[in-house]
Amino acid sequence: MLKISNLHVAIDDKEILKGVDLEIGPGELHAIMGPNGSGKSTLGYALAGREGYDITAGSVEFEGEDLAEMEPEERAAAGLFLAFQYPVEIPGVNNAYFLRAALNAQRKARGEEEIDSMNFLKAVRESLKSLKMDEALLKRAVNEGFSGGEKKRNEIVQMAVLQPKLAVLDETDSGLDIDALKLVAEGINAQRDGKRSFLVITHYQRLLDYLTPDRVHVLSDGRVVESGGEELAERLEAEGYAFLEEGSEA
Amino acid sequence: MSAILEQLAPESTLADDRYADIRRRAHQRLMQHGFPDLKTEAWKYTSLKLLEKRELSTASGDVVASPEALPFSADVIRFDGGLVDEAPTNLPAGVRLEPIDPVELVNLDYGDRAGAMAWLNLARFEQAWKLVIESVLDRPLVLAMTLPEGFSASVHPRLKIEVASGAEAVLIEQQRDHGEGLVNIVQDIELQRGARLRHVISRRNAGSVWVQRTRVSVAADADYRCCALELAGRLVRQDLAVHLLEDGANGEIDGVAFVDSRQHVDWHTAIDHEVGHTNSRESFRILADGSGVGVFNGRIHIQRGADDSHSDLNTANLLLSENARINTKPELEIYAEEVTASHGATIGQLEDSALFYLRSRGLPVDQAMALLKFGFAAAPLEQAQPAAVREWLNADLHSVL
Repeated sequence: MLKISNLHVAIDDKEILKGVDLEIGPGELHAIMGPNGSGKSTLGYALAGREGYDITAGSVEFEGEDLAEMEPEERAAAGLFLAFQYPVEIPGVNNAYFLRAALNAQRKARGEEEIDSMNFLKAVRESLKSLKMDEALLKRAVNEGFSGGEKKRNEIVQMAVLQPKLAVLDETDSGLDIDALKLVAEGINAQRDGKRSFLVITHYQRLLDYLTPDRVHVLSDGRVVESGGEELAERLEAEGYAFLEEGSEA
Repeated sequence: MSAILEQLAPESTLADDRYADIRRRAHQRLMQHGFPDLKTEAWKYTSLKLLEKRELSTASGDVVASPEALPFSADVIRFDGGLVDEAPTNLPAGVRLEPIDPVELVNLDYGDRAGAMAWLNLARFEQAWKLVIESVLDRPLVLAMTLPEGFSASVHPRLKIEVASGAEAVLIEQQRDHGEGLVNIVQDIELQRGARLRHVISRRNAGSVWVQRTRVSVAADADYRCCALELAGRLVRQDLAVHLLEDGANGEIDGVAFVDSRQHVDWHTAIDHEVGHTNSRESFRILADGSGVGVFNGRIHIQRGADDSHSDLNTANLLLSENARINTKPELEIYAEEVTASHGATIGQLEDSALFYLRSRGLPVDQAMALLKFGFAAAPLEQAQPAAVREWLNADLHSVL
């Protein structure tokens, strides 16, 4: 599904990712953990194609295609989704209108027919309900005036409607209380169908308690320094990231 | 600018009818003051020099120009080529259109050269109508002014609108220009005690120079609300002055203007709180693309003794290209006490983060930009009522973004 090889990414000529290797197969859920400033969000933005996140070396293949050659909207149409750490407010743009326009733009790019409004509304209403979101949000402007938790849940609603092949979730758990965290985890698990893959970027272990990741990777100073199973997340929770320092000194 | 004077105001062509003395007096004043230039404060950013290059003929009444169809039911008064042949017979009950009594035009004063275009109108108007609304209208009343392709005349429509005590109306000015002439409109709108007027201006112009001066007076407990969608044109100048004359008068202006290359729009608004216990609110947005120029000057004047008045003025602007220009200026003059008056002005660009967010969801860059522009521009139109009119304005906005 996703193959990252020796990925180097620079922002304003400052190298943030310094050779990341990571491979995610179909249906797998991987977690990336790491201290602040380790490059986690940079990885998310680089995958989604944000301007200014320059790939200076290495490669990213998504289903055999070179991501570096694709515009952000082409990546989306190919099935890549990034749930933003800080979802952007778009004043004046209606949430439902935006989501339907996005879905139809993706379908058009893939040569599929546009979705009719009945089926669209049905899909959105179902995911809103499962995330315990008020339907009135559909009529409001995108993320405008949403609470922090609502914004994060709205990202999961978008994911559920857009049905990506790979979802990159950038600290979707931050700022959520425990109830919202469970809802988000349920929203993610509901999308796990054995084919769809996930890359969950998080600072804490608590979201992973509900997600049972296939692999956990630790990112530090722009590199993956440890990979393992769920037990790695537990160890990080217990010991913090301090052991990374020790490891590098040893 | 004397060339404009020669071209536009040769005395010999002044019509000889019951308004002749009024036109002659206005003509003298115009010759005395001359036209504004860039040193005239109110015309600092808008030059009328373009008129010098134009060979403008005199307006004739034989222009036929069908207005665009409306997606809602309405009563329509057509001003083909800027003129009305005769008062329509199918007006709703409580609405009259009649010629203005010359007495009403005798003592008008438009000041010095800043008011030259209004003097010019008074010197050269072909017709002077009065629209009287005396009832609560159950559907919008539309003044459809259409200038067809090839239009190259100068026309000086003059209209007084009276909304009688207790009357209510949605009045829509549907103005469409496809020509290259001069349209120079003067309007006086009077809201009597307790009257309510929703004044919608929907203007989409091509090559004509369009100058419109609208003066609104609002009596006790009357409510004037303007909502404007200005889809530019070669040169547009709108002056809108709202005078809150008595206790409980309310005045609101919401507007959005979009300008692209070779387009220039200048909105000068003034809200004058002449007495206390009056309220006003204004929100105006400009989007400028290409080499377009947008100008907004919003003045709030709270006069001495107009205590307990409240006003809020906000202007937000979006620059969409390096060559576009926007000049925006909120002006607050407050001479009263126990007043709340707030104002804000911003000029910005489309946010990269918002653009990326939309693209990351699959929207192509053009579509994402259009959506962001629309989101910015649509805010003032949210005030438009009824909903069918709001949707009509939104659809028009969509079509240009």
